[in-house]
Amino acid sequence: MKTLCYLSILLLSLTGCQKEYEAPVPHTFANRPGAGQFTPSVRKAIEGVYAVTTGSSQFGEQVAVKWTYVVNGPDTTHYLSVFTGTDVGYFNFEVVKADTMALAGYWRKLVNTETGRARLSIKTTRSGQVRPYRGQLAEGDTLMLDGAFSEKTAEPSQPLRLTYRRPLNTESFAILAHRSGGRTSDLLPTSENSLDMIKLASRLGATGIEIDVRYTKDGVPILYHDNTLNLRLIRKNGLKGPIEDYTYQQLTTLVRLINGEQIPTLEDALETVISNTNLTFVWLDTKYIGPMDKVQVLQQKFRQRAAQLGRKLQIVIGLPTQDAVDSYKALADKSNTPILCELDTAITRSLSAKIWAPRWTLGPQTNEVQAMKAEGRTVFVWTLDEPKFIDEFINQGQFNGILSNYSPTVAYYHYTKQL
Amino acid sequence: MAGQAILQHKPGEWCLPHYSIHYRLLNVYLRHLIGLPFCLLTLVASAQRRPLPADHSRAIDLAVHQPAIYFPEAPRPGEWRKSLGAVFTTTPPALTEEIRLSVPAVDFNLQRGLTKRFFVVSRLQTQFIQSNLSLGVRWATPLTDRLFLSVGDDVHGWMGVLKLKDVFNSQAYGVQNMPNLTLGYRLTRELQLSVKGEAITDLYYRSQVGTLAIENRNRGFNGVAFTAVLEQPFYGNRHVSLGLRAAYSNFNWQFWSLFDTFDRDLFYPQLIFNFIL
Repeated sequence: MKTLCYLSILLLSLTGCQKEYEAPVPHTFANRPGAGQFTPSVRKAIEGVYAVTTGSSQFGEQVAVKWTYVVNGPDTTHYLSVFTGTDVGYFNFEVVKADTMALAGYWRKLVNTETGRARLSIKTTRSGQVRPYRGQLAEGDTLMLDGAFSEKTAEPSQPLRLTYRRPLNTESFAILAHRSGGRTSDLLPTSENSLDMIKLASRLGATGIEIDVRYTKDGVPILYHDNTLNLRLIRKNGLKGPIEDYTYQQLTTLVRLINGEQIPTLEDALETVISNTNLTFVWLDTKYIGPMDKVQVLQQKFRQRAAQLGRKLQIVIGLPTQDAVDSYKALADKSNTPILCELDTAITRSLSAKIWAPRWTLGPQTNEVQAMKAEGRTVFVWTLDEPKFIDEFINQGQFNGILSNYSPTVAYYHYTKQL
Repeated sequence: MAGQAILQHKPGEWCLPHYSIHYRLLNVYLRHLIGLPFCLLTLVASAQRRPLPADHSRAIDLAVHQPAIYFPEAPRPGEWRKSLGAVFTTTPPALTEEIRLSVPAVDFNLQRGLTKRFFVVSRLQTQFIQSNLSLGVRWATPLTDRLFLSVGDDVHGWMGVLKLKDVFNSQAYGVQNMPNLTLGYRLTRELQLSVKGEAITDLYYRSQVGTLAIENRNRGFNGVAFTAVLEQPFYGNRHVSLGLRAAYSNFNWQFWSLFDTFDRDLFYPQLIFNFIL
């Protein structure tokens, strides 16, 4: 008996402690509309590849600096993102005051829970002399982003200095963010497959998103990844089982995603893409088995909306399985229904899909990719998160885009690539 | 707005501090060694009691080596010990999300005594498409008639190859080093409890997809593992090892094909069942 007690205590001791990881954002965003003194020409001048002259031990030797924005009705709020090549790191800054060229925000490393506050001001340097930036660069001036960062919520005090090197790589390349921007397990401030995550995606480097589509019991297309309601994705509420067992009303009333958001409908998600973001690509991943017609209707509706608004926006239905292919084939009318095929080249060709998206774990597949591109197709890989492989795939230059949970890293390697 | 969700996290909500690698190691050790000393102190106190009379049912005869693989007692010089069984490893939720798998692997141990105290150990864990072979040395000594101790170091080489149409054309291999310390306690003549602690360090990693390959030569701390094993007779003369290994590590070779990118210690529980041959 005593032996059993010893063993039980021992086993409990070994298995009882599962660490909970958290990475709350240490900066409170005011989200003021506008960009203050950061006029379009100033914003354009600031974008580029910068050397990290101070702070490189934390953020690497160089970074990519890019402006993004979120639209809310008549208002547009501008943000500055900095993508680092270290530990899937990024900074998000907002304009502090309309009358200054100062930025405040936070940094985060997605592979772990490291985060902190940061602030920057825009300066120029010439022959070692540093001056505030007035909106114009004289010959011989070099732009500098000068400021400080901290760990966690401390007041930024560790020096951070970024010195302009060259413009961003302007090659066309799709930076596609998985699950509408990133995974919940990466401890992002918003939940995967939520409207807030769609709005956040471009600040994380994405130019497009992939979203997971399922149907509720009453046939409403919604965004949700897993097969079942579970505590990985939603807050505790006592509900469990397949999401298809619940009506949209039940889900709206009873279920909240892990960061408190409602499970969005596909319609709301596409509306958000068009109304609030400048994303150029939406990949509707088919997680359901059954008729595709309701998704097709929404796809066509929002493609038309985008065209009317003059938006360059592709909305494609992803076909990851033979079931999805069958659902697509069962559509009465396949016109005006762009698809993306994740299966092999033969199926992709047989469906006349314009986009082929093989798994990255198959490698670069040089011959197949070149053949598909020669036939006028676009080729993406999914879902590639390993930073060194992201670097390899981008430098190989074969693919038209990468789907990743780590869009800051894809953005970093893409924008800093030298042709 | 994206910022609205961000606002939900107010400064000062920190639940866990930032961990340096050394702090993490210390933290894990503290968390898990707090529980162990309660057991071990009791065992040591019990072990330091006057030996039981030789005819007592629980009396230990030091000259008699019970069959064991995990128990920290060297085989006699030239003597072989071996066991065959299975290890079941459960996938951490952070990697496989809603899917929970318990992946079995064939587990073969082979040991040979070099001197009275020194012995070499080897272990092969294989799932055929991926395998791990370790080689190591141990120095073991009795502390009392019931309590035994060993220290050792094992070098693990692992490799996996996955070729699956439209899914994988990947392979990887790596080398890890695991210094270890084991305490063993003879609960009765035939029932032996071993508690082992290991530090897991990375020496080398290489993975390849198609024609693209990356490697990592950075040597660094990867995590820790704690194992508790009971070894006892099982129907007649056959003996078994039955145990649980709890690894808290950044990387686990069995899940190389998931290409985990988290720089976090994840929990990998393992159930060990071996027949001592």
